[in-house]
Amino acid sequence: MAYSFPEEVLEHVFSFLSSDRDRNAVSLVCKSWYEIERWCRRRVFIGNCYAVSPDIVIRRFPEVRALEMKGKPHFADFNLVPEGWGAYVHPWIRAMSAAYPLLEEIKLKRMVVTDESLELIARSFKNFKVLVLSSCEGFTTDGLASIAANCRNLRELDLRESEVEDLSGHWLSHFPDNCTSLVSLNMSCLGSEVSFSALERLVARCPNLRTLRLNRAVPIEKLPNLLHRAPQLVELGTGAYSAEIRSDIFSNLAEAFSVCKQLKGLSGFWDVVPAFLPAMYSVCSGITSLNLSYATIQSPDLVKLVSQCRNLQRLWVLDYIEDTGLEALAASCKDLQELRVFPSDPFGAEPNVALTEQGLVSVSEGCPKLQSVLYFCRQMSNAALVTIARNRPEMIRFRLCIIEPQAPDYLTLEPLDAGFGAIVENCKELRRLSMSGLLTDKVFEYIGNHAKKLEMLSIAFAGDSDLGLHHVLSGCESLRKLEIRDCPFGDKALLANAAKLETMRSLWMSSCSVSFGACKLLGQKMPRLNVEVIDERGPPDSRPESCPVEKLYVYRTVAGRRADMPGFVWTMDGDKSLTFS
Amino acid sequence: MTEADSEIIKPEMLKAFVWLQMSDGSIQQVEQEVAMYCPFICQEIHSGMGSSKNYPISLPSRVNPPMLSLILDYCRFHQVPGRSNKERKSFDEKFVRMDTKRLCELTSAADSLQLKPLVDLTSRALARVIEGRTPEEIREIFHLPDDLTEEEKLEPIKNTMDDPRIRLLNRLYARKRKELKERERLKNVEVEEEHADERSVDDLLSFINGDNDDSKGSRTSKNKKKNRKRKDHHKTTPSNSTSSSSNAVDMNKKESNELDSVCSKPSLHGKLLTDVCHETKLLDTEDAGLAAEDEFDDCDLDDDIDPALKEKIDREVEDFARRLNSDWPERMQEILSLGQEKRPLRLTINGNGSLRR
Repeated sequence: MAYSFPEEVLEHVFSFLSSDRDRNAVSLVCKSWYEIERWCRRRVFIGNCYAVSPDIVIRRFPEVRALEMKGKPHFADFNLVPEGWGAYVHPWIRAMSAAYPLLEEIKLKRMVVTDESLELIARSFKNFKVLVLSSCEGFTTDGLASIAANCRNLRELDLRESEVEDLSGHWLSHFPDNCTSLVSLNMSCLGSEVSFSALERLVARCPNLRTLRLNRAVPIEKLPNLLHRAPQLVELGTGAYSAEIRSDIFSNLAEAFSVCKQLKGLSGFWDVVPAFLPAMYSVCSGITSLNLSYATIQSPDLVKLVSQCRNLQRLWVLDYIEDTGLEALAASCKDLQELRVFPSDPFGAEPNVALTEQGLVSVSEGCPKLQSVLYFCRQMSNAALVTIARNRPEMIRFRLCIIEPQAPDYLTLEPLDAGFGAIVENCKELRRLSMSGLLTDKVFEYIGNHAKKLEMLSIAFAGDSDLGLHHVLSGCESLRKLEIRDCPFGDKALLANAAKLETMRSLWMSSCSVSFGACKLLGQKMPRLNVEVIDERGPPDSRPESCPVEKLYVYRTVAGRRADMPGFVWTMDGDKSLTFS
Repeated sequence: MTEADSEIIKPEMLKAFVWLQMSDGSIQQVEQEVAMYCPFICQEIHSGMGSSKNYPISLPSRVNPPMLSLILDYCRFHQVPGRSNKERKSFDEKFVRMDTKRLCELTSAADSLQLKPLVDLTSRALARVIEGRTPEEIREIFHLPDDLTEEEKLEPIKNTMDDPRIRLLNRLYARKRKELKERERLKNVEVEEEHADERSVDDLLSFINGDNDDSKGSRTSKNKKKNRKRKDHHKTTPSNSTSSSSNAVDMNKKESNELDSVCSKPSLHGKLLTDVCHETKLLDTEDAGLAAEDEFDDCDLDDDIDPALKEKIDREVEDFARRLNSDWPERMQEILSLGQEKRPLRLTINGNGSLRR
């Protein structure tokens, strides 16, 4: 007996399901739920823009109001994806401009966005509210001007880490005088100076402004003007945090900060002059998120600041903090959940700071809520990893980057298999893992056996043979994204586990030993995968079939092969001959 | 009012009552101030109904006596103006603690009486029941039919329908998956690590080799022909997938049922089985899970495939099988017995090095 509900009631129930996973589950229950769900789905998340086509999405979900989409594979961040590879958003914008006139939100990551796309967005969606472009590229400040000028109800404009061709700062002045709806503005990635008076007026007339991330060009002396006009700010990204040391600048700044009683997050801090840091002390007790990854200040100053922030939950910092600083952090910030330590001098041959594995061990000991780590360092030991694993079994994300590739345990000179093995064995909820150092096939055996909830794995310069890859593909049940570079993995493991690839979002392998012949075979046998070979040396069939390909990107799709591949990308599919786009 | 006055005028006499009739004919007398909390009843009262036993308010059929009782409990509590938010919240939390069946009935009943706050409360509770569950579990809880075919759970690749070789492969793939499942169900599987490798290759081989067994019109393709007629009758236009609900093809229902039962058996390990289970959850995660019409069955297996082409494919498949078969066990031994080969040291920074925040 099925419980009979009117459709609206069921829709109402579904409206309380926030995760995509739940909505997807609901749509697979039965025909009637599938139908009801698709008409009331308002938010769509597409993890790989090539996994599906705009037409398919529009056909299935006719009433979408918010789209979130990702384009290039993660290794694009390390310049492993050549220029012109793809991830163009324009076809999506074109299709949605006709189909979704009520679209309100677009959030993109690692996609190519042009001024044309931005102009089309500005013209097509009358109720457009949210634009988030994370690590995107391809547009200029002219495109931003269109958005500012035409989106009457704009709430969020967030350009985090995008590469924008900065023609001038005039774009900001295009916000009309009657625009009062801004809640979030993140222009931290832009270089040019904007008109400060335009910025001041904009901030003053937007009473709901919660997040303001300035760019480096906004000087510290002007910061109080903005803070006074927006005392309700929750997240602030400063501009350059330096000026000549004058008491009036300091006192103005301190006074302005003291007015902002809601501040929870701070970022920016380019060119920090330590003398100005105490101006912020009045807000430190409320701070939960602190991004000091551009702050080139030394450990003592960092420690003074951080130990004021007793409620800190997230800290991003340079390795200038050193082991001593991390010890102090562990002592003061008991609510710490996420720590990222970035290298100040990654290409230097010798260590320039006293940051070792000990810093991370201290934090793992002192911070009971630590669950997310990104740590760059120059030495590591199995003992340290085992200790960290035992201290923090609730770890969810663990990314360790030992700067020298294939560096062994510095105490025993052994591979770090046992250390990472301990991580996956103890941390049963681990969802993301990034490994480095000297690693053999053994570590992959541990991963395959234990990392059952692992969703994303990044491997570089590790392993000995196909057995390593086979352990991962056959053992990691929850694996969605696998990215590999410079590992001796070849055809066998890949072909034997071909079916596994359909259960994942994507696989990236570069500078490995996968032959062209195997890629062809994989493409032929697996019609629901796009098997793309990236090779800048020229067509793969100009070399023997056994020759390894430069880069391989395999992803599942229901949209078939893509039509926008550049000259150095070939798709392997059913056709025996090479197919070009 | 003096004490003497209050003795004469009994409080109950000052209260108004309304009469409510349910679909089973029973009539109930309820305090008006409580019943009026329901907009539906409120409207009826305003149009003059419910003031006497002879003119009771007819409640919608979805409101039966136990549901009415629950709803009135809710109304009785919330219609009192003096209560704090905390009190109300606490009451609500306790109120919705009931089994899913009653929760569904209550949601339905509250909706028919237009009692929005209660609909919200019960809807949220139902959403919590659904959260984190698989489609199979949800189906079980709500007693819903499993009427999406396996093909409908997966959108086929549009442009490959033109390529007969791809259609052949799709078909073989689906059929072999089914046969493998059957085979696994008969075995009692406890897979050891060493065998895991061989098994996976075995499975792949039998998947590939299996197509030699039923190349001509088989039982399955006959069924497909039969069902195709039925499907064509129901289907509107192939390209209009919004009518996917009308594609009532049952052909693979058996298959998908088997698949479901297999997936729910925890004792069945085995890599390919996991893969098979994952197939049905193929679009489970963030790649915008999609389902579609049953285009898979638009073609008939044997009609369009050129025999020479088929032969070519068969040969290719054999070749692949031979390569895997001959190479793998020997290579495995080699790999296991040899020591570790050192890769030349790279001086460039490893892939984890990034200055992006």
